[in-house]
Order: sequence, then structure tokens, then C-alpha cells
Amino acid sequence: MSSHSATVTTSRISPARARGFGIFFIFLAVAMAVLFGMGSGPDSATFGLNGPDQFADLPTVEIPAAGTAYFLAVVAAFLGGMQLARGFGHRIYLVLGVVVFLFIFAFLVWATEDNSLNLYGMLQSTLLRAIPLTLGAISGVLCEKSGVVNIAIEGMMLFSAFMGVIIGSASGNLWIGLIGGALAGGVLSSVLAVLSIRYRVDQIIAGTVLNIFALGITSYLTARVLVEYQNLNNPGTFRQFSIPIVSKIPLIGPLLFRNNILIFLTFVLVGAVWFGLNKTRWGLRVRAVGEHPKAADTVGINVQRVRYRNVIMGGVVAGLAGAYLTLGSVGRFDENMTAGKGFIALAAMLFGRYNPVGAFGAALVFGFAESLQNKLAILNVGISSELLAMAPYLATLLVVAGVVGRTRVPAADGVPYVKE
Amino acid sequence: MRKRGIWLIAMLMVLSLVAAACADEEPETNGGDDPVAEEEVDFKACQVTDTGGVDDRSFNQTAYEGMQRAEEEFGIEIDVLESQSDADFEPNINTFLQADCDLIVTVGFLLGEATATAAEANPDQLFAIVDVDFADEDFNDVTYPNARELTFATDEAAFLAGVLASGMSESGVLGTFGGINIPPVTIFENGFEAGMNYWNAEAGAAVELLGWSSADQDGLFTGDFEDQDKGKQVAQQLLDEGADIIMPVAGPVGLGSAVAVREAGNASMIWVDTDGCESASDICDLLLTSVMKNMDNAVYDTIVAAMNDEFEGGLYVGTLENEGVGLAPYHDFDSVIPDALKETIEEVRAGIIDGSISVGG
Repeated sequence: MSSHSATVTTSRISPARARGFGIFFIFLAVAMAVLFGMGSGPDSATFGLNGPDQFADLPTVEIPAAGTAYFLAVVAAFLGGMQLARGFGHRIYLVLGVVVFLFIFAFLVWATEDNSLNLYGMLQSTLLRAIPLTLGAISGVLCEKSGVVNIAIEGMMLFSAFMGVIIGSASGNLWIGLIGGALAGGVLSSVLAVLSIRYRVDQIIAGTVLNIFALGITSYLTARVLVEYQNLNNPGTFRQFSIPIVSKIPLIGPLLFRNNILIFLTFVLVGAVWFGLNKTRWGLRVRAVGEHPKAADTVGINVQRVRYRNVIMGGVVAGLAGAYLTLGSVGRFDENMTAGKGFIALAAMLFGRYNPVGAFGAALVFGFAESLQNKLAILNVGISSELLAMAPYLATLLVVAGVVGRTRVPAADGVPYVKE
Repeated sequence: MRKRGIWLIAMLMVLSLVAAACADEEPETNGGDDPVAEEEVDFKACQVTDTGGVDDRSFNQTAYEGMQRAEEEFGIEIDVLESQSDADFEPNINTFLQADCDLIVTVGFLLGEATATAAEANPDQLFAIVDVDFADEDFNDVTYPNARELTFATDEAAFLAGVLASGMSESGVLGTFGGINIPPVTIFENGFEAGMNYWNAEAGAAVELLGWSSADQDGLFTGDFEDQDKGKQVAQQLLDEGADIIMPVAGPVGLGSAVAVREAGNASMIWVDTDGCESASDICDLLLTSVMKNMDNAVYDTIVAAMNDEFEGGLYVGTLENEGVGLAPYHDFDSVIPDALKETIEEVRAGIIDGSISVGG
């Protein structure tokens, strides 16, 4: 690495670590052969791949369980051997992803032996569960890139889920409900902004207080208002619509292009925030403020204004996450219905390295692990449900430890800036 | 500068605590002004809920309705504290111990330990606990003279639902999932599966159940009683695998499942704990029936007994026979369910009551 490597996360892999990867791949290959190959009977696993309304339906895939496991084990072992002999260099993480995918697929085939599984449904559930986490994580990215820690994502989601339902029901218009929900997130985040930027209160404490506040106020109003006036808790949900032509492509068409507006909006936001932060003048300023506010101030950037703007924007995005839960998914509000998603979103943000695209990937890993957990419980594979429930968290730990390595936090994250 | 910030924080904190505290109060309480109550009765019943909250359209709410009925009929004073997390169980019980409650009703399996401890330490305080049969560490039965354990043979009613669902399913696949793997949840699923097995044996069918296995005592769980979005996804996955009748045993999480069932169009649901057509009327058109656990009656009867100094500690079991559990009316599905199937269900009900049919599997 060149001389500037001190400030850039290094991606070079030490020979010991490279060998470790090779051995790990071979270990997984052996595990696949022994557990899933020898553990399978003579039957086949059947996978359904079709969503609704496609050009043509894909044939149902039927594959022999044992044979598939052995084949995948050979591929993994080959990749392990390649790594030991030659090394994949910096592409190792991609290869690691492939091998882990092979392992999970072999596991699924083993679990599905003599049974059938709807793979399309599994992928759809992965995506839908990832949406609120992705939006929450983007909210965190916006705040923290500018140097303000936001652990109140959970509270903002809960508050805006509630406001979205009330405003949507009262106005009879989902769009007004959506805007109301987003603004509610913005209002709560401006409190965070004032507390942490103007009054320089400890940002963790400020965020915690907002979370408690959101839970208290929404529970109170639910008991007092929504229980009495149930028509205020019935806004309906955004309908899904199809993007013409592309939505008819088998499998990925209905999966990606037949959704409701909030899901499309999430796709757009992931790209837009990534582009904004990395490729525009605004993004450069935000990053400067988050890394070295004094330097940014010296060149004439208004540090406080950048931070206010970002925290409030973050709140609006968290508001969309909350509105998704009510207006985009179940169409009603109940106490504490976010159930900790704001905190998982925070983890997705870290694990995505403060990058919206990475956070989306992280959210998909959570979503996939959860949907896998449900499928395995439905297939009754004989793994205890308590152990299965750990899957999403276990997957995160493994990925954070194995793939992500050290995350570099913006240098001035959580540090209030005082102009001298 | 910083001082003012701390002030703001303190104000927010106070506001949220006040809000949380007020949420627990029953808005309609009108104390002694109640016209139904002829005279003021000096009796106070207090309820500690599980984390679902008093408006969960499920077991906390049903138990609370029993208290409200006693309030209406006798003019007693009632009070409720909602637990936001497991950590609130003890403090909430302790609050009521200081509050001159004549009877403390705790709702839910998860409050079992805290209630047993409190009942043992306060022999003069009457308790009633819903869904718990006290036992010591070696699973030997324990009773306290000052604590009534209100339990329900829910599997008897769920058995009937299993027969009904098996008879109605077109795909031949039923689905179920629970909130957490605890006995008051799984007893529904055990009964449901046993009812399905009974139908398969009697009608020579091969209906199957996804999401629960009585043999393993394990299956599909969402992990909490709050995450409705997850309830929707889990139901969707059951539908994806072919289920067309789903029984969620997860309180309000089941309301999320209703969205997936409605979108599917050709599926239906079975509600649990209360008659869903009354507690969640907007999904009534999706409900084949509900497996009712009449906790309101049990709580009400306990209050009446305590008021008349006839309180008895120990175990109460609600059954089909004493109507502590039962199947709700078919409502919208009344015209859809064939008469022959309705008759079969009545026969099975009689069989369970006279003991000729065992719900044990």
C-alpha cells in the first residue's frame, strides 16, 4: 500500500489470513459433504421459483439432495485449494461470499429433501423485511456522516409509524399520511439536533430519552385515542404496482419491479444517498464536517448548519421507515410495533460501514437469515426454534467479524463542535 | 447553554413518564357515578398486564374485560398497570401491594415467578393469575391459599378448530405459528394438530400442518407479541408453502397476518383467545372461527368470589364442559361451512366432554 494508506482502510490480506481463508473453505466443504451429503437420503428437493404475473413460468426445479451437496462441496473445496495454491488477492471477500452461499444452499437442499420450498417467497420476504432496516440505516448514515450519533432511530420510526396512521386515517389519503409520518420523524430529529448541536448534550443520552419519549407518548395516545376511535387506526396500505415489461421477467421481475411505492422509494434512496455523499459537493462537505469540523469551518463551511440539515433529513428518512411499517405493510398501529427494528438498523449501518449500499446489503443479510429461520421452522428440520431465532444475529456477527473487519467511524462522530 | 439542554431532557423525560403512567389508566373510569351500581362497594381489583398491553385484543384485554364487567355491575374500583418489559413485572406488582388492592390479577405465563414470589411473601393479599399453574423447580405442583391459578384446557377448543379447519381446507395444508414457545401458546397448537389428526383418521384425509409439530413440541415462532410486520411475513411464508387456513397464536402479531391472508384472497384464519369478530371486527370476514379462552368470565368469577369472602386459592381449569373455553360463532362463514361439518363438530364437542375423545393426540 502506498503512503496514504494510513488514512484509508487497508484491504490487503496477510499471508496467514489468506491461508486461514483457504482452510476455512475446505473445512466448509468437508462439513457440507459430511452433514448434507451423507446426511441426505435418496430423495429430491423441489424449489418453486415463480412469482405472480410473469411472461412465462419457470419450471419447478427438482434436484437430488445428496448429489447436490457433494457437488457443491467439491466446488467449495476447489475454491479452497485455489486460495491455498494461488490466492484470490483482494477478491477473497467475494469468494468468501460465494462459498458461504454454497454452504447455505447445500443446507437448504438438505432441509428440503423429500419436500418442496417456495424460493420466490423466501426472497420476497427477505426483501420486505430488509426495507425498514435499510431506511433506518440510511437515517443513521445521514446523521453520523455529519458527526451526530443517532440512536433514536427506533423512537423516530415508532413515532412516525403512529403519526402516519393517524394522519393517513384522518385525511383519508395515504400520501398525506406518508408525508405526515415523514415530517413527524423530522420533528423528533430536530429535537435531537437542538439537544446535541446547540446544547451539546451527550448524544447517547439525548437519543435514549427520545426513544423513551416516543414509546411513552405513542403508548399513551394508543390507549387513549386509537382504542376509542378505531377508525383513526385504519388508513389502509399503499397498493403494489408493476413497472411495465420488466415486472414480467420470471423470478426477478415480480420480486424487484412489482412492489409498493415505499419499496421503490427505498431503492432510489439507497442510490441517491450513496451518490450524494460520495459524488457531490454537498457530500464532500458533510464528510468534511463529520471528519474534521474545524478544518471544514476554516474553509468556510457552516458546520452547525450542515449538521442540523443532515440530522433532520435523517429523521425524515427514519420517518419513512416508520411509515413503511404501518402504511406500507400492515395498515394499522399497535404499541411498540417497531419491536427493536431501529436498533437493528443501527447495526446494519455499522455493518454496512456507514455506506447506504452496504447498509442495504446488511439489511438483506438480516432479512435472509430471518426468512431462512422461518422456512426451516416450516420445514420442521428438527433444529430448536430458539436456536433458529438466533440466526439473524449470528449471521451478523459472522459477517461483521469475518468480512467487514474494522469499521472506520467518522472521526468527529458524536463530538459537538464549538467554534472558538 | 448546556444547563438549558439538560432541562429540556429532563422535561422530555418527565413528559414521557407521565404519558406512560396515564396510558395505564382506564379512560372510562367514572368511579361512583356509575348508574348501574346501586351502592358504593369497597373493593379494589388491580391488574398487571403482560407486555402486550391492555388493548392487545387478546389475553390481556380479555382479562381486563372481566374486571370492567365487575366494575360496571358492582361499582368496584379497578386499576391496571401495563408492563413494557419483563423488568416491569415485579415493580408493578409491588406498586399494587402498596395500593390497597383487595385482589391483584396478573396476566400471563411470564408473570408466574414474580406472582408466586409475591403471593408467598404477602399471605394476606389475594392474587389471581391467568395462565399459570404454579410448580416448584422439580415440577411438583404448588398452591398458595391466597392465589388462584386460572388455567384453561384450551386444547379442547383448539381441537374443534382443528377439525373445522381440516374439513374446510381446500389445499389440505393448514398453518400455524406462535409468539413464543411457552405452554399457553403451544396448547392451542397441540389441540389444533390433534383435531386435524382426528379428522384425518375419521374422514380418511391427509391434511397436514405447517409451523408446529406436537411430536417435537417445536415449530414456527415470531419471537415476540409485537412485531406485526413479522406476523405478515410469517403468514405469507405459510401461504407460499400451500397453507390456506392459518391460526396465529401471537396476540396482535396475528393482525399483521390478516393483511397477508387478505391479499392472498383464497385463504382464511382462525383467531385465538377472544372472538375475533368482536375484538378485531375489521378482520371478521377472514375468520373461520375463534378459539375462545373465556378469561373474562374466570376473572369476573374470581372477583365475585373474593367480594363475597368465598375466595379459594389453588387451581381452576376452564374446559368445554364448564364453558371456560369454547369455539366462537362462525359469523361470516356460517353459510359457507357445510351442515354436516357443523354436526361433526358438535359430536366431537360432546365426545370430548363425555371423555370418549381424547384431545391428547
